[in-house]
Amino acid sequence: MSDRFIRWCRSAAGVTILLSILLAVIATIDRGPYILVNTAITGGMLALVAVGLALLLGVMNVASFVHGEYFMIGTLVAYYVFTPLQNFLNTNPSPLLAMVAPLIAILAAAVAGAAAGALTEIMVFAPMRRRSRENWVMNSFLLTVGLAVLLINGHLLIFGADFKGIVRYWAGAPVTIMDVFISRDRLFAFLLSIIVILAFWVFMKTTRTGRAIRAVSQDETGSLMVGINLSAILIFTMALGCSLAAVAGASLLFLYPSYPTVGLEALYMAWFIVILVGLGNIIGALTGGFMVALLKVLTVEYIGSGWDFVVPTALIILVLIFKPSGIFGSEVRGVLDQ
Amino acid sequence: MNAFDKLLRQLNLTPAGVLGLAVLAVLPFIPPFNQEYLIRWLIAAALIAAGAIAFDFTAGFINIVNFGFYAILGLGGYTSAILSVNVGLTPWIGVFIGAAAAGVLGFLTGLLTLRLRGIFAAVMAWFVGLALMGLATKMVWLTRGPLGLRTPRLFDTASNIPYYYLILLLMLVTYIICSRVVASKVGIAFKAIGQNMDAAKTSGINPTYYRIINFTLSCTLAGLLGGFYAHYYGILTPDIMHTSKTVEVLAVAYIGGRGSLWGGAAIAFPFILAMELVRSGLSNLPGLNLILYGLLLILVMIYYPGGFAKFFDAYIRHPKNRALNYFLNGASVRT
Repeated sequence: MSDRFIRWCRSAAGVTILLSILLAVIATIDRGPYILVNTAITGGMLALVAVGLALLLGVMNVASFVHGEYFMIGTLVAYYVFTPLQNFLNTNPSPLLAMVAPLIAILAAAVAGAAAGALTEIMVFAPMRRRSRENWVMNSFLLTVGLAVLLINGHLLIFGADFKGIVRYWAGAPVTIMDVFISRDRLFAFLLSIIVILAFWVFMKTTRTGRAIRAVSQDETGSLMVGINLSAILIFTMALGCSLAAVAGASLLFLYPSYPTVGLEALYMAWFIVILVGLGNIIGALTGGFMVALLKVLTVEYIGSGWDFVVPTALIILVLIFKPSGIFGSEVRGVLDQ
Repeated sequence: MNAFDKLLRQLNLTPAGVLGLAVLAVLPFIPPFNQEYLIRWLIAAALIAAGAIAFDFTAGFINIVNFGFYAILGLGGYTSAILSVNVGLTPWIGVFIGAAAAGVLGFLTGLLTLRLRGIFAAVMAWFVGLALMGLATKMVWLTRGPLGLRTPRLFDTASNIPYYYLILLLMLVTYIICSRVVASKVGIAFKAIGQNMDAAKTSGINPTYYRIINFTLSCTLAGLLGGFYAHYYGILTPDIMHTSKTVEVLAVAYIGGRGSLWGGAAIAFPFILAMELVRSGLSNLPGLNLILYGLLLILVMIYYPGGFAKFFDAYIRHPKNRALNYFLNGASVRT
């Protein structure tokens, strides 16, 4: 046991994780516990988006440029579900409904995200896969670029460019943990991300469908041979990945109001994570979410906002020089082979 | 083969291409194109066309999507603009220094990413672009950030016509450089890498070496175009580096046809003019032109990945009529 632990500590994954924890502890002592709190909240949500992206990379071999747009769909649906509910609550107060209204909004966003993902697979990727798999990675990447342009401007055309945001999901005094005031929304967002991540983990490890998804990501032909319904798995994976992004968008609506390009930042960050940990590495993406969040929080804290693209890029360049396949490496070969 | 045909062959142009260029050259004097705003549209279209050629040089041949294309173009523009504003260097020299700076950055990015597989290079070029845009926004003391850097213009006139001819010339030069390289021995290596990397490796081609050559050249050309951009519009904001600009060039290049060089340039003029018409005509429906962009890109990717150039080659290029054939293909090789 201890032998294995020491070996893990000396691997690239171990070194970076331990270094991140050390960095977080030093920064927390230096500037106060809110750094840790901010990292945890941002990290959980980034992990959700990045896991979806890693899932698409691993299972479908799609380097998605459109993933942020499902985040945007999440914020949009949550806004249009939550606002009427809140207006209704203003006229007829009801403590129970006030408790569950945010949950309804987030659930609606999850369903909408899943539907959007499934539709994307059925209407866009499946026809393309049927026609030709030649040069698939690049072509599907360009396809998602077109899709992103379409969705961003579709939002602009239908819903307009103004900020559609809410003040808060839950009213009430902020919660105090370690002398830090945390608004209830932030606390809930963190808890939700942890719950969703755990549920996702259990799903992937224990259920038949989860195993089938992992099988497809490892070997598509082999999974066909053992009788996995490939097209259904692909639709389901896409729906799952997009739904995770939509949940992240919906539960962060109080931070990021819905507007056409709200998904871009989530997309950048998810890609940072996925490249950093290794393309298609799902478990790595979970850890990477918190690491990139820490990096972002520290950059904003010590250097200033607006630099949070420059510093992570510099770091990723360093990582790529020494570990081209990412910190945690990746068993997914499909994306790398083209 | 007469001297004219020989010259065309040297420049990789066909009689049809020459006619197209001639039409473009006289266009600013033919109504309705002789109005200033239409000439501005034509300049924007020519800039996109030239960009699409340089972009396709990378995307269509070594199969690397340079997602930071406009960021690198912007770097060229900013370098030249900063030199002219702070040092007082004339833009006519500055644009070349800008191009060199863009080339150096392209070389470094390529050195880092091009030994990896294609998608890494695409995403890393994108990150480098984002970082550049972040720097341009944040280094206010140098670039004046989002306020915009006022740059001296290339010509001392309010008319757009000299700029139009300059960008047409730049477009032609970009095309000739790229097509000459593609037709050379190096170009064959590019095509081999783009089509089948492993086969190319087996044949003794070092993919990283050729990819870096290609990427650096493409970035240098982008930097040159950036210099034009900076000194034509007279104001430079970090928005020039935005990903959406790259997407615009990317869409034109791929709809025009990957691996053809001329396809993107040919499609850019009608395409950009149509888009501008949609944008100005239906200004109460914002974003509609970009929706059409996205939709067209999706449809082309699913149903006709070869784009316009492939369509042209398959159905129009080889007519029975000999005069027409000469017009479309130039004199045949056998004399």
